[in-house]
Amino acid sequence: MSERRDEFLSDEDLDLKNLTALELETHWRLWLTQAQGTNDADRASYSHGVFERDPSV
Amino acid sequence: MDNPYIRLTQEFNQGRLRAILASGQAVVLYRLAIMSKDGDWILREETEALTHVIATLARHGARYRYGAPLDLRWLVHGWSSHLEFQEGGLRLRCDFVTRPPRVSPASLRTLWEAPVQKEAPIVSLPVLAELKKTNREKDYAVIGELARQMEDPRLQALYSRSARDLVRLAQDHPDAVREAAVERPLLSRAEQGREEIERLLDEERRALIRKNEDRLDRYVNAATRWGAEWTRVSKEIAGLPLAEAHEIMATRAAEHLPREP
Repeated sequence: MSERRDEFLSDEDLDLKNLTALELETHWRLWLTQAQGTNDADRASYSHGVFERDPSV
Repeated sequence: MDNPYIRLTQEFNQGRLRAILASGQAVVLYRLAIMSKDGDWILREETEALTHVIATLARHGARYRYGAPLDLRWLVHGWSSHLEFQEGGLRLRCDFVTRPPRVSPASLRTLWEAPVQKEAPIVSLPVLAELKKTNREKDYAVIGELARQMEDPRLQALYSRSARDLVRLAQDHPDAVREAAVERPLLSRAEQGREEIERLLDEERRALIRKNEDRLDRYVNAATRWGAEWTRVSKEIAGLPLAEAHEIMATRAAEHLPREP
């Protein structure tokens, strides 16, 4: 039996290491295109930096 | 790679290194997870770099979002600037700092002297781990995997989120763990076993989350007047070429956004 280890990310995430550059690009573009579906929901919010919410939205 | 954030990084760096890709897109390039639809960069703290970035974004038709102007008067105090534009049906957001949180001046110097080169220049694993010490639980899972990519056992000890890995590191590399314990006190308890380390890791994560929340609160509170003014400013700059909008933004921010939070 193999030794158990603490797990942080999914197998799907960790499998990114096995993708070629082209496969990674294709996967990322597909993800980004699908993620545009949440643009309205997150139009006021920030994922980086020191601002949390656009007060004009 | 046809990643618009990588192409933008190349444009920002035309002629010289001015911008290093950080956070979510760096996580993608380290092939750990696909977790951000925005791009964020650490910029060289020089007026020339900011001018070049503004000119580049102007060519893409970018506009300012609520944030600090892309101006050293604010950026040197840790403020962030935020712009966005549409391209090929995608909303591309561009976030900038020159003083990333939790990154020491020495680490920042190293970043500019020897950036990690993947498809674009990106932050090193330890700097990325520091950037990920946010108030989001999911970022600590990323730090856990980043630590496993680090080769130096001292760095692994500084950033690992796995009690099992830390116990094993303490057995295999006691000197490295002892050295790292100066910066990370929980390591001095590694000999007390997995359960104690798990408890300390949870405590450490909660403390880091609170610390980042306190940091953000300082900025959010300091931006209260700027936030109240923003609806008016955003209407004033709407539709203007970015260079012109930037001048107005900086003038208005000088009146309403303190340089030091």
